[in-house]
Amino acid sequence: MIEIKNLKKTYEGREALKGISFTIKEGEFYGLLGPNGAGKTTTISIISSILKADSGDVIIGRYNIDTHPQNVKQLIGVVPQEIALYNELSAYENLMFWGGLYQVPANELSNRANELLKQFGLEDRKNDKVKNYSGGMKRRINIASALLHKPKVLFMDEPTVGIDPQSRNLIFEVVEKLHKEGLTIVYTTHYMEEAERLCDRIGIIDNGQIIAEGTLDQLKNSSSIKETIAITFSNLNALHVKEIATFWSDMSQDENIIHFHSSDIKSDLSKLVLKCNQLGVDIVNIEIQKTNLETIFLNLTGKQLRD
Amino acid sequence: MIQLAIKDLKLFLKDRRSMLVTFAIPIALITLFAFAFGGAGKSSSKAKISLLVSDLDNTSASQGAIARLDTLKSIQLKALPLAEAQKAIENGDESSVLVVHQGFADSLKKGGSLPLELQYDESKEIEVGMLQQSLIPTIAMLPFNMGNSREMMGNRLAKMAGSSNTQAKEDIQAKSDNLFDAISKGVASGNGNKTKNNPASNFFGSDIKMTKLVKATNDNQLGLVQAVAGTAVMMLLFSVVGIGMGLLDEKQEGTLKRLLYTPMNPLNILFGKMISANVISILQLVIMFIYASLVFGLDIASHLPGLLLTIIATAFACSAFGVLLASFAKSRQQVQGLSTLIILVMSALGGSMIPLFLMPALMQKVAVISVNYWSIQGFYDVFWRNLPVLNATFLSRILVLLLIGLALNSWAVVMFRKNILKLT
Repeated sequence: MIEIKNLKKTYEGREALKGISFTIKEGEFYGLLGPNGAGKTTTISIISSILKADSGDVIIGRYNIDTHPQNVKQLIGVVPQEIALYNELSAYENLMFWGGLYQVPANELSNRANELLKQFGLEDRKNDKVKNYSGGMKRRINIASALLHKPKVLFMDEPTVGIDPQSRNLIFEVVEKLHKEGLTIVYTTHYMEEAERLCDRIGIIDNGQIIAEGTLDQLKNSSSIKETIAITFSNLNALHVKEIATFWSDMSQDENIIHFHSSDIKSDLSKLVLKCNQLGVDIVNIEIQKTNLETIFLNLTGKQLRD
Repeated sequence: MIQLAIKDLKLFLKDRRSMLVTFAIPIALITLFAFAFGGAGKSSSKAKISLLVSDLDNTSASQGAIARLDTLKSIQLKALPLAEAQKAIENGDESSVLVVHQGFADSLKKGGSLPLELQYDESKEIEVGMLQQSLIPTIAMLPFNMGNSREMMGNRLAKMAGSSNTQAKEDIQAKSDNLFDAISKGVASGNGNKTKNNPASNFFGSDIKMTKLVKATNDNQLGLVQAVAGTAVMMLLFSVVGIGMGLLDEKQEGTLKRLLYTPMNPLNILFGKMISANVISILQLVIMFIYASLVFGLDIASHLPGLLLTIIATAFACSAFGVLLASFAKSRQQVQGLSTLIILVMSALGGSMIPLFLMPALMQKVAVISVNYWSIQGFYDVFWRNLPVLNATFLSRILVLLLIGLALNSWAVVMFRKNILKLT
């Protein structure tokens, strides 16, 4: 559905994109993960046809974005990072306005607006001015505004920033439903749990490059990082730490907690507990820290996603 | 406390808008008003008041009188045939014409009342008043300053006494000679141009017949037209800047970017803004004139076609100005500072704050660069000069407004592409 080849973009001497390439299949939910300034928004801006790339190709559906930008714009819906709505208009008026720009016939548009208002749980307040909505409600209308013309591809640029859990869950439910109905979705976020929950495939972008790509399992398997057993002790002293380090070199200490890095948690856990008993250190708590996107990302980029 | 004050001063010095409002705008206005009220410049460079003159007598006496008037420092004389001169006044290009009627030489010789007439535009009464002040003493002194003055005065006195008796005439002539000598001394002592102190001017009074060539339909019309047109155009400029700033708000709030995601041509965003600015501007002007009609009795009903045309042209030019400023600037603050400066200067210059005829001739010439000037003149044409819609002068003003609008809108398109569409 989407084919991006060697996309490059430079701003005032700084390379924002250094030759990005990826493909997204029809109906796929693709997550684009990266810290601020990694190139996510630049990528979305180029593939949604509001920014020209210096070089490279973007093909959406059957259309090349350089030669058929209007066709591409009809195919896509974009949920911007900002809440881009007219605050003095009601939710219904906003939807009618945004849908009208896609030449959706008035009757059909009105039905579609009402349908989306119901879907996003805002039917009762459809005539309230948007300025009186909560942040979460605005986010929902922000998403609904991109769906009025029934796009084939939906770009969502960090659509859940700063919203309450209730709205977030509602958005997830709607987005998952749209995905099930066959909509292709490109989702940028720096919330790991969102990507883990929603995305079929994930591309990790940093410094204008895709540095890893695949399903969550593929990313985990390809990663060299290990899972961690974090044991909290009550009577840990320097001698204990020295003894433990001799027994288990791949470890790090954080006050009375020791993080043991393991490639086989099941067998390593019993060995560690046994050794601690032998040394006479009292275990207060054991926590298994599994490999997740956060740790994969940290390992790949050396940065936290929220940096 | 001192640290806080220093910090505030640093912030103030870094805030260009504050600097503009605090220093640049007052300096610009002071400069303008100083020029407008004649306080600037040396006396030798004072602007002259323009006066047309039509010599229907066409004698050496009339030419001599005109040459005498031409020596006045405060007046710029321009000779024109009467019909042309009257047309220039009716079109609002000139304020008045001094007509030297046939028989001037004869009257001057015989000491009769001089057949001089000042035909003028009532809307420029203040300018005409200043002209009168300059003209009357000189005209009063013409018998003294032109040949045979002693005889002329005697004739005049005799005529005034109404005597046909030869002895009485001779007595009058003798008294006239004494009086002439006394007045001549006054003239020689340098009081010649001061009406108040000049016995000659007190004696002769004014020989100028005053005729209103362009008249008001009612007494309040002139002030009212000035007040409504001047204020309406200035306030319109402020409000269109607000509408134009909507573009920057859209950019800041992300709706502009969202509009660009749609299949719409990006320039339609600007055109849409232009249309809304025009509609609101027209509405604003219409409401202001309806208000002036209802509350102050401005007669809009009998001037409807011209008024609507002027309103449309004014709205077009002013809204283009607002949209251009918004396209030009990079932030709301920048627009606010810039627009306040430009609007106040244009309004002061164009006649919104001070009627144009009160300004020196140089400033009246410079005023043409202001949108306010063309709009206010258009409204004057409609309400004051009663020019028909198809009058060339009126249409030329409308055309200028439309061209200003077109030029500013075209420039706005260029700036919109350059500044506003830079989104990332």
